Amino acid sequence: MPGKKLETLAGVIDAKMNRQLKLYLDICARCAICRDACHQYVTTQDVRYLPAYRAELIRRIYKKYFTKTGQFVPSLYEGRDPDENLLEELYDVMYACTGCRRCMYYCPYSIDTTWIQSVGKAMLLAAGKGSEMLTQLADAAIDKGKNIDLYKDIMRDVLKTAEKEMQDKVGDKEAHFPYDKEGANVLYAALAGTHSILPAAIIFHMAKEDWTLSMFEAANYGYFLGDAAKAKEIAGRIIDEAKKLKVKEVVVSECGHAHRVFKFFYEMWAKEKLPFKVSSILDKVSEYITDGRISVDPGKIDIPVTYHDPCQVGRNYGLFEEPRAVVKEICSDFREMTPNRAKNWCCGGGGGLVAEPALEEFRKTTGKLKVDQIRDTGAKMVVSPCENCRLQLDTLNEHYKMDIEITSMIDLVVRALKT
Amino acid sequence: MDLFSFTIAGLMVYAALAVFFIGMTYRICHWFSTPKASIRLGMFPKPKTRSGRWLKMLKDTILFPQALDVDPTMWFMAIAFHVAGLLIFFGHLRLIKEFTPIVSALGSKGMDTLAFVTGGTFGIVITVVVIYYLFRRFASPYKDISVPEDYLLLILILLVITMGNHLRFFGDVHVADYRAYVQSVLLFRPSFDAALAHSSIRWSLVAHVFLANILLMYFPFSKLTHTVGAFLANLVRSD
Amino acid sequence: MADEMKVDMELDLKGLLCPLPMVRVSQNITNVPVGGILKAVATDPGSLADIPSWARSTGHEIVKQEQEGTDFIFYIKRLK
Repeated sequence: MPGKKLETLAGVIDAKMNRQLKLYLDICARCAICRDACHQYVTTQDVRYLPAYRAELIRRIYKKYFTKTGQFVPSLYEGRDPDENLLEELYDVMYACTGCRRCMYYCPYSIDTTWIQSVGKAMLLAAGKGSEMLTQLADAAIDKGKNIDLYKDIMRDVLKTAEKEMQDKVGDKEAHFPYDKEGANVLYAALAGTHSILPAAIIFHMAKEDWTLSMFEAANYGYFLGDAAKAKEIAGRIIDEAKKLKVKEVVVSECGHAHRVFKFFYEMWAKEKLPFKVSSILDKVSEYITDGRISVDPGKIDIPVTYHDPCQVGRNYGLFEEPRAVVKEICSDFREMTPNRAKNWCCGGGGGLVAEPALEEFRKTTGKLKVDQIRDTGAKMVVSPCENCRLQLDTLNEHYKMDIEITSMIDLVVRALKT
Repeated sequence: MDLFSFTIAGLMVYAALAVFFIGMTYRICHWFSTPKASIRLGMFPKPKTRSGRWLKMLKDTILFPQALDVDPTMWFMAIAFHVAGLLIFFGHLRLIKEFTPIVSALGSKGMDTLAFVTGGTFGIVITVVVIYYLFRRFASPYKDISVPEDYLLLILILLVITMGNHLRFFGDVHVADYRAYVQSVLLFRPSFDAALAHSSIRWSLVAHVFLANILLMYFPFSKLTHTVGAFLANLVRSD
Repeated sequence: MADEMKVDMELDLKGLLCPLPMVRVSQNITNVPVGGILKAVATDPGSLADIPSWARSTGHEIVKQEQEGTDFIFYIKRLK
């Protein structure tokens, strides 16, 4: 019964309804001021990527099913059914968005297109048409959570090399990565791979932090997939670990969306108040430097350096000045990109796009604005405290032969760290 | 008053006002009765204090300064449209009650000149802006995101304004006669006085009122609810 | 090599960071026939948990896993 299915899919809008969504769906004037806010529209000139159009896809279903005038005269709003054609369009549009919310910044009504698009993703999932790749990545993370005991020893074993590197750097043969430490101040949720563990461990060691390393990676592909249940389960692995260890604070690695999930979304999904603080490693680094718990060589790096504000760190979390202060202290030739801070262009790799091979060419095209921005500064090094941004910048660096170095904040700090 | 005028410029006005006020109340209640998302997803930088958030919300709604950066033409046109629209609205209040302090300051001749110059200027300004809006909708990419509602509203507004301009620039009826009509409506005894009833532009007035009625009745069901909704949505931005 | 495992395809994932090793494996598993073996060489330690988890949740099988220096080698059998 296709008719029944259409209504069930439209019902997703109702299930996800709340005040802000209703406002967004009711009031958009389609002025399209958001046109030049979206890097994907600007670089492709494809109307499907124009934020107002993305939202319009959902709005047209809403109008037809949930408004009196739309039920009466659907053609007035070009009311549509969530049929195959529309679902296909939803897929192309929703899973292409990086979730940077630059359109929201410029919108006269501050319409949050990502919020509307989360309905679109939920609709796709309800139709069994969610992103295949993101589903696999999310399921793998959940599976890892269920079978963590299989991996604990392997992981600890493989991290021995990194542990040794830390001992050499800090000059302490007794320095170890702490695991499963009950009552520690900080549970550090890193990413898979030593690049996000080793520098953080060095910083924690030098700051004499009482910390412990999480067995799980902070990244959350369930969030990108738009599947709140899976996203909650993935984040829940670290939340449960933190509760079990009774830590005071969960510190999330340089991963924009992961931090945002723990900081903002988890409490909504789980309908509970977390018994510990959540912060970003950027907060900690800046706190350690300010409090004199670690110190860096001022002007250690003298090549021209610029800073890329990751959307999830800047616009969506509010860290603009703190990371800059650290970069400026370490780098003697700091150069600002234009625009920057809240107006910064998205790198083009957020939203899980780096995990979608089908979107690789698209990422290269839509990253052009970022390439130009970086080139205009003449910088030889870009600091960006977000894994997604760095993976995308790596792609751009290679594709556009930019010949720049891309580094994380903790790597930069460790390079200049006085030990 | 003939039966047709009585129906349109009398009875229908009540219907339109009723639909407008009930509709808007319903719309606003509907927004407030829908639960807020249990998450604060505002955008940074945002003010730390409650009053700061409200001030920023007012600034974002009334001036939307961010849009000036990215689309100055549209920003300018939008400001011109809303300022002209508001002033025209206030100008119409003179038809309910004369702005006595201004009349005593300028004299009745001066008041008429002021009304003619401001009303005329803003009538033309708003016409130009609406024509710009309409032409913009016919160009890519705007036409690709536009729906019939957008054109319908613009055409309605343009017609209301055109009829209004016609009354102002070609009418031979004095303000006192219009005021007599408006007051008769307010007293639930709609009528045209002799001057208006025998005027050649009476049909323009009826058309003006008719179109304004339609606009008012459609208002609560259209995107024009942004007049209230924008304040609420912009508050979410700073949340 | 001691045992005679027939490898249908080999993937070099050295230097790739999470999630890319998993993504590349997932992308290429369909390039080997059902019952065939995909050999993947990764350097990201995260892949030690990620690739087996991926295999289990997607219904494939890691038939052998070994380490050579800093290289982690997975032999993944396509089961469907």
